[in-house]
Order: sequence, then structure tokens, then C-alpha cells
Amino acid sequence: MNKTTRLALALLSTVALTGIAAPAFAQSGEVNIYSYREQSLLQPLLDKFSAETGIKPNVLFAGDGLLERVAAEGELSPADVVLTVDIGNLVGAEEQGLTQKITTPVLDERVPQAFRATDDNWTALSLRSRVFYVSKDRVDATALTYDDLATPEWKGRICTRSGNHAYNIGLIAHYIAEHGIDAARVWLGKVRDNLAMAPSGNDRIQVKNILEGTCDLAITNTYYMGAMLHNEAEPEQKDWANSARIIYPDAETDGTQVNVAGGFIAKYAPNVENANTLIAFLLSDEAQAIYADTNYEFPVVPSAPINELVASWGTLKPSQVSLVDVASHRAEAAALVDELKFDEGPQN
Amino acid sequence: MTKQTGRGFPLPVASLFLVAVMGLPVLWLAYSGLVATSSGSNGLAATMLPTALRETGLLMASVGIITGVTGLLAAWLVSHFEFPLRRVFDWALVLPLAVPTYLAAYSYVEFLGFTGPIQTFIRSINGATTLKEYWFPDIKSQWGGALVLSSVLYPYVYVACRSFFLMQSTSLTIAARTLGAGSLRTFFTVTLPLSRPPLVVGMTLAMMEVVNDLGAVQYFGINAITAIIYSTWINRSDFGGAAQLAVTVVLVIGLLIIAEQRARRDRVYLANRDNRVPPARAQLRGAGKWVAFGFCLVLFAFGFGIPAGELFYLAFRLVLPETVSMTLTALVPTVMLATSGAVLTVIIGLFAAKQGRRGSVSGGAIRLATLGYAIPGTVLALGLLQPLGQADLWFNRMTMALWDWRPGLILSGSIAALLYVYSIRFLAVSHSTLDAAMKKRGDGMLDAGRVLGAGRLELLFKIDLPTLSPAILSAATLVFVEIVKELPATLLLRPLGIDTLATMVYSRANVGLFAQAALPALFIVLAGLIPVVLATRLGDRRKV
Repeated sequence: MNKTTRLALALLSTVALTGIAAPAFAQSGEVNIYSYREQSLLQPLLDKFSAETGIKPNVLFAGDGLLERVAAEGELSPADVVLTVDIGNLVGAEEQGLTQKITTPVLDERVPQAFRATDDNWTALSLRSRVFYVSKDRVDATALTYDDLATPEWKGRICTRSGNHAYNIGLIAHYIAEHGIDAARVWLGKVRDNLAMAPSGNDRIQVKNILEGTCDLAITNTYYMGAMLHNEAEPEQKDWANSARIIYPDAETDGTQVNVAGGFIAKYAPNVENANTLIAFLLSDEAQAIYADTNYEFPVVPSAPINELVASWGTLKPSQVSLVDVASHRAEAAALVDELKFDEGPQN
Repeated sequence: MTKQTGRGFPLPVASLFLVAVMGLPVLWLAYSGLVATSSGSNGLAATMLPTALRETGLLMASVGIITGVTGLLAAWLVSHFEFPLRRVFDWALVLPLAVPTYLAAYSYVEFLGFTGPIQTFIRSINGATTLKEYWFPDIKSQWGGALVLSSVLYPYVYVACRSFFLMQSTSLTIAARTLGAGSLRTFFTVTLPLSRPPLVVGMTLAMMEVVNDLGAVQYFGINAITAIIYSTWINRSDFGGAAQLAVTVVLVIGLLIIAEQRARRDRVYLANRDNRVPPARAQLRGAGKWVAFGFCLVLFAFGFGIPAGELFYLAFRLVLPETVSMTLTALVPTVMLATSGAVLTVIIGLFAAKQGRRGSVSGGAIRLATLGYAIPGTVLALGLLQPLGQADLWFNRMTMALWDWRPGLILSGSIAALLYVYSIRFLAVSHSTLDAAMKKRGDGMLDAGRVLGAGRLELLFKIDLPTLSPAILSAATLVFVEIVKELPATLLLRPLGIDTLATMVYSRANVGLFAQAALPALFIVLAGLIPVVLATRLGDRRKV
């Protein structure tokens, strides 16, 4: 071994053995947050929170598997509050016994019963809806229903991401809750055959497909329209968004499917009081305004104002189907997606 | 204690211990899967499973073939010939390794997409306004996925074959040439058959990477096996069923690897008796020189030029101060983790490669221990969460009982958990590189050392490490770059408050903010450059 090699190996070993000290978590004046929601939305909320309360938030941002992590850490878990998207995660967390009752009185005062657990073990913090983005040039319709997706008129004109994605599972589960599994099977099979191509890409890509002319209707979440129209870093996304307009499906009948972003307090939270303070803050007018204005979601608190741009897309009439009911049909929805080979695209 | 030669020792304790430690998550998953069968879980009942197996199998096969051909050719060219910019290509061809597959997928979709430069140019000529008015291949497809993945995965084959050629005595090649065989004939009759071990190693790693990938294949709309594992776990809340699927995938891959090795078992690779023949590179002339140059250039452009260029363009089109500061905060933890992980994984890899040569039980055990690479990172991390959490709980109960003290989480959600998962994930990378090198070197020198009365440590430091140094550096480089890129396990197991470059990229890209993800992504690529340059430079300086 020559000198250079030896030196390099010595250097490597030194750096390696230095190690990194894991941060220690003090038990006062802090709140530990496990979040599915990404930092850029969370940061402005948390900056305000710590400025007002003096409580220091520590965040672990991760995706799927966070609930499993909380479960595995058990009684030693540092997690105080878990923030997540999709009703399935909230109901699932409660079923796994990972939650505790939220005690802040703000909850009863500000959140409608439809958007929190009956025993206050979780709450929604904002609402979003899975809607239709239709081509401004090629679609004249101003009102559509989820059932319209299954009609021959839309043959080869529909785009959506993988049927296995939580957002689509939520939509299909909602359909099952409303119409039953057999009707859902027929409907989803026809929707599959109306797809312009096999599902690929994320929600924004579907809107880009409208610009490209490869499809005329994309099934996508509401807030992406705002996010794309204000994307200064990637201005081309403005063109994608400008090629489409939003239609709230079933707005004139049963109401549009709604999903939530929400949170719960972990069963073994070391800082329960701070956790409740955080939940109360996230339901305050100013926090709800941040959800509405930076992420273009609907506030969960009825009195909180909706962002102007969001309001310009029309009025959301939420479906009356209970969220917990929807969550209970998720496994069936996933089984349907698999059974119908939805992700392989049209079969005729 | 095993005997010096190790043959005939009935129970290779060390190997089995390594398997237990490395196999913990897989064993846990297998256990969860078995327990779940009694409650009626059957992950293998998915209707889409045949489709997924077909599409994943096709993708693996095509990536294996493309990376095998291009990687081997490139390694052969740069180690046997002189042509324009050869010295640059020598290390530059490793660079695509630093581009994570999911970023390559995104870059290519942008670059070749409707609003990308190529199609925009086409429309400016033909005056079309929508894609329906002209034909352009859709990169978001099976073949597109295979090409894009191969363009950043071929370095596995390149690195393995290159370090093999570097360690190989050129006497055989020279003999062939002396006997009148031309370059091409020498390649097919001497170089290719001899290169089988590193070639297979490289292709295996690339194919395992395909199985493990989730982001890129989903983006391309390929119905991969990982998507089914995820859907079973997340949408059906059936972790047991997901575990059954994951373990089955690992078993299938394990069998494939073992079958390949059986097929190779009876071949004897010539031990390198003549280590002092410096590689004489033939000077290519005329058209051949430019063909070699063009080939390397295309490979580099596709694997590195286009994705890095796309990232560069996005990162510097609009520089946000907060993006810069968050990128810099993630830099130190990333490099620290990758360095410690690389050192640890190479040490374990050396140990495993040594143990694996001690007989068939040992060899089989070690092969089992390296299968962590074929498991999707998230699933692997899930298999580790519960055992680590349980260990922490027991430890805390013990300290409470003894000293009334609760240290809290020590293993779960700590640096230790990350290093553990990295060594499981990437043991295959370091072990295969080192193992191929050991096979090539043979044991002659070690036997000689023993005869001359050298002790174990002396043998290690005077013979083993020096003779293996190119392979050690290759292995460390590969693992370092892998860890910098690693996302799913890091995301799930990292401590509260620590972010790596990859998790930064994910958190932005996840919501479609690729422009904000571009800068940390560029740094991933840059971080990958450092060891690549270091290793290739060091690997070349051999005593002559």
C-alpha cells in the first residue's frame, strides 16, 4: 500500500469515526412533530407558532411508514403530534391505538363533527377535493359528475395517476361508500377503458397532458391549480395550469368528494400540553389562512376565509358521505384497482 | 475459531452470525409474513402480480443486457486502448452513478417531453400545437424506463470490469496478440470469458437496483412489483401480505444469483502469477479511435450530461436563498453518514468475502447475507423498525429496574439505525466487488506469507489490503455514492431534526417542486464526484 492510499484510508477512517451526535430532546418548551406534509408548507406555520408561544418545534418529515415508526417506538417515542394527509392514515392511527384524545377546547368550538373523530382522537386541519381539470379549448361542459367519466363521450380522453395512489384510492372508496361495491366495479371498469393511456406520472403531469393534447380531462386534486399558477421557479407549469379549468364533479347533485389533511396527538407524547397548544394554533384563523393561501386548500374551520383564487374556481359543495365510512372502504378500493388491472390502462 | 484453511470446519460460526445480523429485517419480514398467513393474508393473490412480474422481469432483463454490454465495452476500451480523452473518460464514465434513478427519470421526462427542447424545436418546424398532430416516442414507457435506468446504472458494470482489468495481468492478452489475434478476436476469446465474474456482479447490482427502485418506475407508469408491495401495505393495511411479497422477491433473486454461481462453479480462473506486466494500451488509429471516443461520449452524455444539465438549468434559473441554506445544512450530515457507512460496509464486506471462501456452508450463508440489496428500501426499513424498537424497550426496562434510569431510544431513530440499514443494503455492493477481486488474485501470496510465518494481522496489512486496494477503493466509492443517493430507508429511520440531501430532494420533489429540489440534487451529484475522482486516481497508481 503506497503513501497516498494509506493517507486516504486514514482520512476516511477518521471522518467515519468522528460520528455524529444525535440531538437530545429537552422536555420543556418543545414539541416534536412527525409529518407527512412537506416542509415548505409547514415552515411558515411553525415559524408563527414558535414566535407566538415560545415553543420550539422539532420536525421529522417522512412519507409512508411514519405510523409504523411511531408504533415501533412505542412508549419511548418522542413524537408529540403526527401530521398526515388522507383520512385513511388518521382512522388507521386510531385503530392501531397510536392516538390520544385532543383536549383543547378549540376543537369543539371550531371543527365540524364531520371532520374530526367522534372521540376527538384526530382532527382534520384542512380540506382538499379530487376534481376534474378540463381543457379550456376542447371541453365545453360546465357541470360534470363522477358517473360521466364512465360514458362513451369520454372515450380516450381521461388522464389520471396510478390507481394505487392514496388520492385515487380515496376517490374510489368514496364511490364505493356512496353506490356500493358492484356499481363501483362497473364504473371503475368503464373509467379504465376511457383512459387516454396507462396511468403514469404525478398529479401535475396529468394537467401537462391536457396542454399536450394527449387528454382532455385530468382527475387531480384542487390545490395543484394554485400551486402551478404561482410556481415562479418553474414558470412552464403556469402554462400547464392555464390550459385547463376546474369543474367540481357532482356539484349539482350529491356533492364533491372531499379528503383531508389532519393530525393527532401521539399516545405516548412526552409534551402533551404543547401538543394541544399546537393543534389549537393550527386551527386558529391565521394558521387556517396559511393553509388556504400558501397551499390553496380549503380551511376546515367554516368561519375561516377561502383564498380568492380558490374561490374563483366555484363553490365546493362537500359530499355528505362520512369520512370514516370512506376510510373503511379503502381496502376494497385497492382490491378493485388490482382486480380490474386499472394501472394497465384501457382494455378495449 | 476457525482453522487457518477453514476447510472441513463443521459450523462456520462467524458466517452464521453475520447472516443473522444482516438478515434480521428479512427474517422479521418472513416471520411477519408467516404469521399473517394464519389470519388469511395472501399478498401473492394479487391479480396484478403476473403483470408486475412480467414487467419487472422485462425491465430487469433489458437493464441487465444494456448495462452489461455498454459497461463492459466502456471498461474494455479505457483499459486496453489509447484514444482521444481516454484519461478523462476513465473516471468520467463513473459519474452517472451519482445521479439517482428517480432524478434521471424526471430529467428525461422534462428533456424529451412536450415542453422540452427537442419537441419544442420539432413544433417550431412543423407548426403543430398538440401531440396528436405529430409522432414522438413516449419516454414514459417500458422501453423508456429501461433506457433511462440503464443510462445511470451501467457504471456498476463499468466499475467492476474496470477494476478487474486493472488487476488483471496483461500477459494473456499479450499472448493472444502475439499469436496473431486481432483486438476484436482477443476480446471475444480472452477478455470476455475472463470478465464473466465482474460482468455478472455489475449486472446483478444494476438489476437489483431496478427491483428496489420505486420512484422512477412509478413515474414511467411501469407496473413494478414494488408498487404492488406498497399498495398491499398502504392501501389494504396488510403489512403481512406486503412482507410475503417482499420476501418472495428476495428469494427469487437469491435463487437466480445462486444458479448463476453454480453455473460458474467448476471454472477455474487463472490466478494472477505475473502482477508486474504493466497494462500496455494499444494506440487506436483512424476510424477506430473516433468510434471509441464517440461511444464513450454518448454514454457519458446520456448518463450524466443530460440529467446533470437539466438539474443545473433548473437549479440556477432561479436561486432562492432558503434553498441554498437548506442545502448547505444537509451537506455535512450527508457526507458524514456516507463516509462512516462506506467504511463500515467495506470492513463488513471484506470480512464477508473472506468468510465466504471457507467452504460451501459459509459461502451460501454469506450469499444470503448480501440479499438486502434486492429489498425495496422502505420495506427493509420497516423490517428493522420493530426489532430495534423492541430492543430499545427491553434495554430501557432493564435500566429502569436496575438504576431507575430511562435513556430513551438508542437504536431506533438514531445514526446507529441508519448505519445498520446502510450496511445491510449495500453489503452486496462491497462484498461482490471485493469477492471478485479476491477470486482473481487467488490465495497464493497469502499461503506464501503463512509459510514464511506471518501472523494474521501482518497478512492483512502487508498482503491482503495492499493487493486489494483498487477493489477496496472501488467498493468504498460505490457505497459512498449509494448512501448519498439512498432515500427510502434514510427517510424512515433518520433521527428527528436531521436531513440529508436526498431527503431534501424528496420533500420538494414529492409535491412537484422540482426546481427547489434541483440544487440539493446537484449537490448529491457533486458529493458523488469526490470519491469517484479520488478512487480512480488512487487506483491507477500502482507500483511498477
